[in-house]
Amino acid sequence: MLIQQLLNGLVVGGVYALFAVGFNLVFGIQRLLNLAHGAIFMTGAFVAYYTVAAGWPLWVGFILAAIGSGVLAMLIEIVCFRRLRKSGDAEFGAIISSVGASLVIMTVWQWISKTQIVRFPFETFPVIIFRFWGLRVSALQLFMAGAALVIVVLMAWFVYRTSFGRRVRAVTGNEKAAMLVGVNPNRIYNQTYFLSGALAGASGVLVGLAFNNINYMMGEPYLMFGFVIIILGGLGSIPGALLASLIFGMVQTLTIAFLPSGLTNAFIFFAMFLILLIRPNGLMGKEEAGALRGRR
Amino acid sequence: MSLELRNLSKSFGGVIASADVNITVPRARVTGLIGPNGAGKTTIVNMITGMLAVSSGTITVGGRDITRASAAEINRAGLARTFQNIRILPETSVLENILIGFHRHETCSTISALLGLPSSRRETQDLRNRARGLLVRFGMAAFADHPAGALSYGHQRKVEMMRALASEPDYMLLDEPIAGMNDMEAEALAQVFVELAQGGMGILLIEHNIRFVTRLCQEIYVLDGGRLIAQGPPAVVMKDPAVIAAYIGGEHA
Amino acid sequence: MSNTILGYIPLLDLFFLHLGLAFSQWIVLRAGVFSLATVGLAAIGAYTAGIIATKTGIPAPLGLLAGAFTGMAAALLLSWPLARLRGVYQAIATVAFLQIILSLNIYFEGLTGGAMGLNSIPKSVGTLTLFAATAGTVYLMVAITHSRIGRAFDAIRQNEAVAASLGVSITGHQALAFAISGALAGLFGALEAYHSYALVPTQFGFQYLIAIMSYVVLGGRNTVLGPIVGTAILILLPEIARPLAEARMLVYGLLLILVINFLPKGITDTLVDMLKARNLARRKVAAETAETRS
Repeated sequence: MLIQQLLNGLVVGGVYALFAVGFNLVFGIQRLLNLAHGAIFMTGAFVAYYTVAAGWPLWVGFILAAIGSGVLAMLIEIVCFRRLRKSGDAEFGAIISSVGASLVIMTVWQWISKTQIVRFPFETFPVIIFRFWGLRVSALQLFMAGAALVIVVLMAWFVYRTSFGRRVRAVTGNEKAAMLVGVNPNRIYNQTYFLSGALAGASGVLVGLAFNNINYMMGEPYLMFGFVIIILGGLGSIPGALLASLIFGMVQTLTIAFLPSGLTNAFIFFAMFLILLIRPNGLMGKEEAGALRGRR
Repeated sequence: MSLELRNLSKSFGGVIASADVNITVPRARVTGLIGPNGAGKTTIVNMITGMLAVSSGTITVGGRDITRASAAEINRAGLARTFQNIRILPETSVLENILIGFHRHETCSTISALLGLPSSRRETQDLRNRARGLLVRFGMAAFADHPAGALSYGHQRKVEMMRALASEPDYMLLDEPIAGMNDMEAEALAQVFVELAQGGMGILLIEHNIRFVTRLCQEIYVLDGGRLIAQGPPAVVMKDPAVIAAYIGGEHA
Repeated sequence: MSNTILGYIPLLDLFFLHLGLAFSQWIVLRAGVFSLATVGLAAIGAYTAGIIATKTGIPAPLGLLAGAFTGMAAALLLSWPLARLRGVYQAIATVAFLQIILSLNIYFEGLTGGAMGLNSIPKSVGTLTLFAATAGTVYLMVAITHSRIGRAFDAIRQNEAVAASLGVSITGHQALAFAISGALAGLFGALEAYHSYALVPTQFGFQYLIAIMSYVVLGGRNTVLGPIVGTAILILLPEIARPLAEARMLVYGLLLILVINFLPKGITDTLVDMLKARNLARRKVAAETAETRS
């Protein structure tokens, strides 16, 4: 029973990883929180649903969702962040601006879905259950874990092994210096946000499939979970977000299974508070959460 | 009575920024700290004022250990500073920038301040008058109500100095106070520094303009690569072969 | 005539209730704290008052005091971990606090009524009480602005290093800002409880948080007039243009994006800056003409 729960948690954690890694990627490069990330995630789920509802196969929906969410994230950066970044005081502004973007996106999907919960038609994903060593694993779970793994590995390769990754890191270090060596920061930002949005969109589709409940508010709790994950993993750290997602997936599944149902969230967010107190930079973050030295 | 740095060292993850620095800043004197770019002068000011943690060594003011004190405590112990990269409060007026400097001398109770009782209002009015006095002394009375962020570079430096002076410190640490000023402005400031020292203040002057330093200081410390390479009266220090080498080497590097 | 005025009373009440919370948010931002906790603190005050009103015989004025006090206590408790964190982390931590309050409110059914909330709270707060509380708050904010505390807040917000180098205790002042914010949030939460008969946990959620934040961002973060103007505009807007009420979320969203990008200081702060600049220019001209004459 415990092992079954841990396994379920691990699969959920994989999907969280898609969400949180994208969130952290953006924070890592610009030091800005994109609070519209939950709305981007929800957009992915809706795009996939309406593609399938229009008679196209699921894989088409999946690809369209990733592309659509990626483009949306890119637009958010251009419309909501670009001007703010130049003004200097972007940290607060980005929170406000991206909350605004989130509200707009939510309204649009609320109108399109007529405030209804939509569900993928039955057997959009074949319901097959595998049993081994006393454990139950559905084909969907395997697909989720597989997709999460493939996407994360691809992204890690992209960020750490390609020239794109080098340019990203150049811009992260110093925007002006990067421009001097011929890297166009805005282009890098476009690409990074696209990547971040596409990951969020992909996780939206997987969550939509798994819980088969797509609505215009579905992004909110995931944004909250995203916070917990990036605090645990360390803001800006991609391996940290990955590890933290898996831990979080398992812990959450266990608390749902073993704690009184109303207390899951209180427990999770209280734990996050403790992490902020004890280890504010998370498992793998750089030292930066702390306030100015000599602050008393 | 003096500000004493003893065997002060700082390393950033293995990179040494200051090594074994000993400096004495006496009251009523202007003490110089010079050195080529990247010699670690600002690192020392940051350590003294509690903005950077000290790796080893001690800092004392008048015998009191402030090595691990917070920046605010250090100011309350009688130290004030200006910043090399100007740090003006851009959204507030020049006068309000200076008012902040009086903070450690403000005595009205929290309750009085919260409720706007007469004692709080009187104090604010009194400090405004004193700030205007400072503005007159620095020849900037006309700028009192200007937004500080819109001032010229040289004027912003002066606002920083007035702000630091408002806290009536025993010691002032001036990090390149005349950078960006013309000769006339620098001359006027030199006069102010001399007057302050005559009034009993100990000044640590960090400056690139060697002529300015040699003229004002009785004692000069020369820093290179985080280490002191010379100290003494200006005439002696400027003839020191190590100092000449550091400067010439520095200029050509 | 009197009928039309009476028709606006509910709107006026709403304005006062929201303005109190807007000031609670404004004062922490002013001291450079990135807190999003106001609505959570208001929930604490509201529930304190609601529980006192429905389960004890304690009179309403004491209930209001208790609300303000619990709000302040919670804020002080929260300020301790927050003092150790930087901007973005403070925002995340306070959002987590909001979540904790929300789920605890739902969980402790016996005390809070759970998801159903508290009902039939005797109404003992009217427009006059709300007006008095709001007026008192505005006075307090003006007094703080012109005191050493307001100056310290301004310095911390603009540059922590400078403030510290001039002897300003950053954690001390931020804790103070938080305590004021918590007391205000608690008080106005309690007022809301005594004013509106019923409380539900979801009422103190993100929607409310976003509304309060919008008032402050739109109005202005550095002048006392800011929250007043922001709250007035956003409360009146849906009344003037009915269709906007339908699309409230969209309007708030667009407004937030536009204001923070194109009018980052908000309406009043921008206007105040413009007026000051004009005065300066006028004085300069006057001085120059005086010079040429003499």
